[in-house]
Amino acid sequence: MLTPEKIEEWLKEAEERPGSAVLLIRYIANRLNELSARNEELLADNIALRLGRKVEEYESRIANLEYQLDLLKRQAAAPGGAPGQAAGPAQAPAQASWVVVLYTPQGQLLKAGLPAVLEEGAAAQLPGPIDPQAPPGLLLVGEHEELLLIYDSGRSLTLPAASLPAAHPLDWGRASLFEPRGIEALAAVVPVGRMALADFAIQASRRGCLKKLPESFFESCVAKDFVGSGVKLPADQTFGLSLCGKADQMVLVSQGGFVAAASVERLPFTIEEALRLATNDHLVAAFPLAGRDTLLFVTNNGKAVQRDASWLDPGLSAKSAGQALLTAARRGAGMRMVGAAAVTPEDWGLALLSDGSLNLYRLGDLLARGALLPADSSLEVVAFSVMA
Amino acid sequence: MTLRVGIDFGTSNSGVAAYDGRSVHLLPVDPHSAMPGVIKTILYITRDQRPYVGQEAVELYYRQNVNRLRRFVKKWAGEIDVRGSDMHYVHDVYTFVDELSPGRLLQYIKTALRSPGYQGTQIFDRYYTLGEIITLYLHELKRRAEDLLHEKIGGVVLGRPVQFHSDPELDRRAEETLRQAALEAGFAQVSFELEPVAAALDYEQGLARPQTSMIFDFGGGTLDITIMRLGDPAHRQVYASRGLGIAGSDFDRAIIEKRLLTHFGLGRASLSPELQELVHAVADWSALPDLSTPPVRLRLEKAILESGAPARLKALQALIFNDLAFSFYNAVETAKINLSSQGVAVIGLKEKDLDLWELYTRRQFETDIMEHRQAVEQLVLEAVAAAGLEPPQVDAVVKTGGSSNIPAFGALLEGLFGAERVRSSDAFSSVTAGLAIRAMQG
Repeated sequence: MLTPEKIEEWLKEAEERPGSAVLLIRYIANRLNELSARNEELLADNIALRLGRKVEEYESRIANLEYQLDLLKRQAAAPGGAPGQAAGPAQAPAQASWVVVLYTPQGQLLKAGLPAVLEEGAAAQLPGPIDPQAPPGLLLVGEHEELLLIYDSGRSLTLPAASLPAAHPLDWGRASLFEPRGIEALAAVVPVGRMALADFAIQASRRGCLKKLPESFFESCVAKDFVGSGVKLPADQTFGLSLCGKADQMVLVSQGGFVAAASVERLPFTIEEALRLATNDHLVAAFPLAGRDTLLFVTNNGKAVQRDASWLDPGLSAKSAGQALLTAARRGAGMRMVGAAAVTPEDWGLALLSDGSLNLYRLGDLLARGALLPADSSLEVVAFSVMA
Repeated sequence: MTLRVGIDFGTSNSGVAAYDGRSVHLLPVDPHSAMPGVIKTILYITRDQRPYVGQEAVELYYRQNVNRLRRFVKKWAGEIDVRGSDMHYVHDVYTFVDELSPGRLLQYIKTALRSPGYQGTQIFDRYYTLGEIITLYLHELKRRAEDLLHEKIGGVVLGRPVQFHSDPELDRRAEETLRQAALEAGFAQVSFELEPVAAALDYEQGLARPQTSMIFDFGGGTLDITIMRLGDPAHRQVYASRGLGIAGSDFDRAIIEKRLLTHFGLGRASLSPELQELVHAVADWSALPDLSTPPVRLRLEKAILESGAPARLKALQALIFNDLAFSFYNAVETAKINLSSQGVAVIGLKEKDLDLWELYTRRQFETDIMEHRQAVEQLVLEAVAAAGLEPPQVDAVVKTGGSSNIPAFGALLEGLFGAERVRSSDAFSSVTAGLAIRAMQG
């Protein structure tokens, strides 16, 4: 607080010790500078308040927080508890409330309860055969999960998995339609129910580029229905999005069997190439390790390949070709990756086969057996998903 | 032969030194500090009862406390028996405990020796007596000194002010507490020397011929004056010693009371007497941390909504509840120290909800401590008279201690004795050095 008495005392100091005058002016000038900057900030705030922008901003923030709270409440109220904890070692996921979601680039979403899929046998089969080059997306999630639909234009949409009607039997004619606009295609459907608990959202492109979004920023993107395409080359396309912690490690797996790992901390906030792929290769999986120490890779001919997380080489530089999991001979013979995930033996996985059938596997058994299909099977695995 | 060192256990700063018969070695016991030979007399005890001292304690305190979260729980502390003429009832007493508090910072420990009412303090689940607190500090000093000397230290000469207390019994008790603490810290032999006499011994090292000197030892907690004959070790004689419980911390308090309380709402008519009392507590470094309780927070939050000084009360709330008290007192002390070398200083502290900026001049400072200056002048003249001397008969006045650098006191001494007779010794280490010399001499 500046009073006339105080100013008088400063003047007296300057009179008594002229050397103090310079310091007095310097200190006052610095303070004035600081206060004028602060004043400008406050004026800007004031204008925003008068124009109602501040109110809009706060309203949007409140709405966003309410949405997050609602998500967490739904997660907490789910009969099986939080996803990922639902299936205990001895509990089949069928007993919990899990759903299978299949989607196509045309925006068709087909949902079926997992118990129904398991019980209906032949009915749990898509009208096949499935084109291995363009299989539908496959997801296994809790029924209280929140789904984020990402279109290749960067537009996004959220909807609760519970709001999708269950289709019996599985028939694309019964699918819910979230039609792309113009030349858009639905690129990915990802579960985001635990968004508030993550530190970052990592967006991946088919050509192996990654982008890191801080959770708060990601929330605002979700609220605005636009998370961005995550691509910088016209030939590239949005692949998917994962939620992870700041100390986590992201793993990328390509169809050609190349694997790269990168610590989340070192990932860029702008789109950067993390795995250099051959022109005919693309990603089939991008996932965080999330503290798990076993990696499962599934090939089109039904092999389940297991690696310890320590096998990953985090020291590989960005833009490297990654670690090769398949030999050139096998690649030449037509073997390719269709899915991968960080798993524990208690997890469950779902495979979509080329005849349209859905098969559920306890991963402990699958890892021990090393194969999804019998040796003489003529079928192919076209998509594989682990419980999210 | 047992290794003996000198330890100046000061109010604000301490030091350890060893003398080898030729030169004094001030030990760098605080490697984290800008002046490793001077260690802050600050102790920080963490929740797991681990003690930290000096700069390390300060840094850990800042790291763990500033703007931290708090969670208060109400705990039963005891009961009070209330008896009237025809009635008797028992009243339960509760206290608020911050469950998330990571540690407790203790400073001005030596001042507690002057307060007969202070017995000790509860730190989390353990009660520490004053002696135990001092033991922790001295033990750490001893450990660090032994690491530096690569030798066990057996004996110590501790400095003490001319008087801890004007009551001889309380003075003796304070010295005894310090002695016991040093013994507990592991020193087998403990002896004392008056701090100004120790500073005189250091000064004597540079004397070519005997002279009558006045040692003006003005530190963080006390002013100690000794007039003695120096220069011939065989004929040293103390003519007079005087002490006064005024020093650096009193000046800090004067600055806060006279210049800074308005920043927290003092003088605002809309403030209730209760809130005015709360604002006045800002000047008391020992009271401020105890104010961070839920009832005080509630009272402040209500006042912020209702009173005419919301920004100032918000600043007061930040000071109390964001653990900014230590930073605040440091800002005041730093400005005071700066005024010893320049005419103007800023007392500034910028934290969440608190933007303190006070341009403070040496002239204002001298006005604010005028009362103390008069008391100091009185003591100097008393000491000279008690020595049976007149000011011109004092050959040299030797200043030591941080507060002796304040220009107003330099001018006071120069006015009384003449500028040519006023000398400066190392403000922070001359007492330590003299204690080391005394330790060597036995």
